[in-house]
Amino acid sequence: MPRTSRVAQNDRPGRGSRAALLVLPATLWYVGFLVAPLIVLAIMSVGVRSPNGGYQPALTLEQFANLTTRITPLTNTLGLAALNTFICLLVAFPVAYTLALKVRGNWKLVLVALVVIPFWTSFLIRTYAWMTLLGANGVPRILGWVGFEDVQLLNTPFAVSLGIVYNYLPLMVLPIFVSLERLDRSFMEASRDLGAGPVATIRQIVLPLAAPGILSGIVLVFIPIMGEYLIPILLGGGKTYFLGNALADLFLQSRNWPFGSALATLFVIGMVVLVAGYLALSRRLVRAGRESSLL
Amino acid sequence: MTNGRDPARRRDPAEITRLAIERRMSRRTFLAGTGAGIGALALAACAPSSGASNAPSAAPSSGGATGNLGDTLNLATWPNYHSQEVLDAFTSLTGVAINVGVYGSTEEMEAKIRAGNSGIDVVVPSNYAIEGWVADGLIEELDYGKLPSFVKADWNARFMDQAFDKGNTVSIPKNWGTTGIAYRSSKVTEPVTTWKQFFDAAGTTYDGKAMIVDHQISSFGSAAVAMGYSLNTIDPTEMAAVEAMLTALKPKLFAISSDVQPPLRALDTWLSIAWTGDGVQVGRDNEDARYVVAEDGGELWIDSYTVAADAPHRDAAYAFIDYITQPEQAAAETEYCLFPHANDKATALLIDEVKNNPVIYPSADSLVALEYAVNATYNSPERAEAWARIKASA
Repeated sequence: MPRTSRVAQNDRPGRGSRAALLVLPATLWYVGFLVAPLIVLAIMSVGVRSPNGGYQPALTLEQFANLTTRITPLTNTLGLAALNTFICLLVAFPVAYTLALKVRGNWKLVLVALVVIPFWTSFLIRTYAWMTLLGANGVPRILGWVGFEDVQLLNTPFAVSLGIVYNYLPLMVLPIFVSLERLDRSFMEASRDLGAGPVATIRQIVLPLAAPGILSGIVLVFIPIMGEYLIPILLGGGKTYFLGNALADLFLQSRNWPFGSALATLFVIGMVVLVAGYLALSRRLVRAGRESSLL
Repeated sequence: MTNGRDPARRRDPAEITRLAIERRMSRRTFLAGTGAGIGALALAACAPSSGASNAPSAAPSSGGATGNLGDTLNLATWPNYHSQEVLDAFTSLTGVAINVGVYGSTEEMEAKIRAGNSGIDVVVPSNYAIEGWVADGLIEELDYGKLPSFVKADWNARFMDQAFDKGNTVSIPKNWGTTGIAYRSSKVTEPVTTWKQFFDAAGTTYDGKAMIVDHQISSFGSAAVAMGYSLNTIDPTEMAAVEAMLTALKPKLFAISSDVQPPLRALDTWLSIAWTGDGVQVGRDNEDARYVVAEDGGELWIDSYTVAADAPHRDAAYAFIDYITQPEQAAAETEYCLFPHANDKATALLIDEVKNNPVIYPSADSLVALEYAVNATYNSPERAEAWARIKASA
C-alpha cells in the first residue's frame, strides 16, 4: 500500500525537479566538504615540494614511491591501534554487559550518563590531566612512598595506551550497550533452562547477538586511533610516532605538502577499505542474526 | 613622553617575576604541545581580541602614517610576545584595532600565509624562513618611506644586515634569542657548558631525565654542533653521523617535545634544550635553574617584523611596525616578553633587572660561536627526512 502511493507520487509532473531541488543542499554539502578536499588532496599528491616548501604542480608518482619511508609509523600505528582497540573491547564488554543486563531503573540512567560525562570536558584537558597524574609529582611519587623508586610512567608506551583506552572507551561501551539492551532476554532464559552455564550463555548467545554492536565499537575506536596525534605527543613525549604525527610533521615541520597529501591519500583509501569491510560484515551479521531468530 | 620613561610602563622586579610566573608557557612551546594548527585556529577563535581575521577595514586606507589607516590590523606572532599596553596604546593612537593571531612556530605561520588570502598583515617569522618567503613572494620589500621613525644607527650591528636579509630590505627585528641548555643544578651537579657535554650526559648519567625539543633546526642542529659540525650541516656523511647519534639517544630521552617548561619545573627533566624565554622564566621561579649558551656553538635567532605581500591593511601594518620598533615601545615589549632586543636605544631604556640579566642578555663573547640557521637548513628535504626517521625510530 505505501509502495503504490509512492509510485503514484513520483509519476506526478514536476515531482522530479522538486526532488532534485530538495537533494541539492545535501549534494552541495557533500561536494563542498567531502569531495572537494579529497580532490585537492589527490591533486597535491601527484605534485612536488617547491624548493622553499609547499606545493608545486607536477604529475608524478614520486610521492607515492616515497611512502616506503613511512612504513615504521604505519606499522606502529596499525599495531598500536589493533592492540588498544582490543584492550578497549576487553574493558568495555563487561561494563556494557553490566549496564545493559544487570543494572535496573534509574541506576542504569545514572551509570550511562557517567560513561558519557567525560565527553563534556575537552579531550585536550582530560589528556593534560593525565600528564599531571603520570608525571613525577603524580602516581610515581605515591609509588615512591611504598618503595618503588624512580618509576617512569609518563612518556612510555604504557601511558599512550592508557590515554587511548581512557579516551576512546565510551565509543566502545555505548554501541555494545545498545546492542545488549535490545537483546531478547528470553534467549538467555532458554539457554539457562537448557542447561548452559553463565559462561556458555555469554559465549553462545550473548556474544553472537551483540556482534553488530561489538563490530561498530571496534570501527568507532579503531579509526580515530589510526588518526591519533595528540596522545602520542602529550603522553608519549613524541617518542611514540603515529601516522598522525608523521602527517602533521610533513605539513608543518617539513612543509612537504605533496608527500603529506600522498600519505593522507593512502590513509583515506585504507580507511575506506576498512569501512567497506565493516559494512559488508555487519550486513552479514545482521542477516545471520535475523535468520537465527526466525528459527 | 620624550623625557625619560613612561611611568605606566615601568615595572618593579617583583611584578616582572609575577608576570613571568603567570606566563608559564613560552614561545614556541605554546601550540607545539597543544595540537598545532588546529589548536591555533581554536584559540584564535576563542580569543576575544581576534574576531574575524578577514574582516575588511571599513574605512579606505590612504597611505602614510598620518593618513587614514583603517580600523584593523592582523598580526601573526608568538605567544606572550607583545605587551598588551603597547598594543592598546597603538590602538588609541591610531584607531586601528589589532587582532593578535598566536602561532607555536614559524612553520605554522608559513602554512597560513602560503595558503594565501590569510588576511594577515604583519608576520613575525624567525630568520631562517625569510629567504624562502622572499623567493616565493610571501612577504614584500619594506617601504622605508612609511617607516619614518626607523633610525638604523640605533640598532646593534650583530643583528642587522644579516645574510638572510641583506640591508634589512624585508625585515626589522622584533626580539632575538638563543637556543641553549637549561638544567636544574640541584640534580645536575657537574658543569654542562657545551653541547658535547649535554648529549654525552643525556645518554649516560641522566638516562630518562633529558629532553630535546621537537624542532629539526634546534635539536638536530645542536647535536651536529656537539659532534663538531656546523649547526647548518647538510653534508650527507655528517648528517648520517648525527642521525645515528640521536637515534641511539632517543630511547634514553624523557621526551622529544617543545613543551620545555612543565617537565623542567616538575623535575621530570633535569636538563633540556631550551630557548631564552624558557631559561628566564624557569630561572625566576626556581633557585637552582640554570640556562647556559653552549661554549661550542649553537643557534642564535631573530624574529622579525615582515609585511605579508597580500596584506589587506598595508598602511596600518607600516604604522604598526614604525610604532613598535621605536625604542620606547621596544623597551616596553622587551620588559614584557623578556627576550633581548636588537635596538641598542631600547636596551638602554630597560630596567636593570632585565638589562643586566645574563640569561636575557648573554655576554657578547658567548655569542661569537653561535650561528644563525639558514634557509638551506630549514628547507633541506634530507634534514627533514633524517629528523622524521629519528622521531619514527623505536
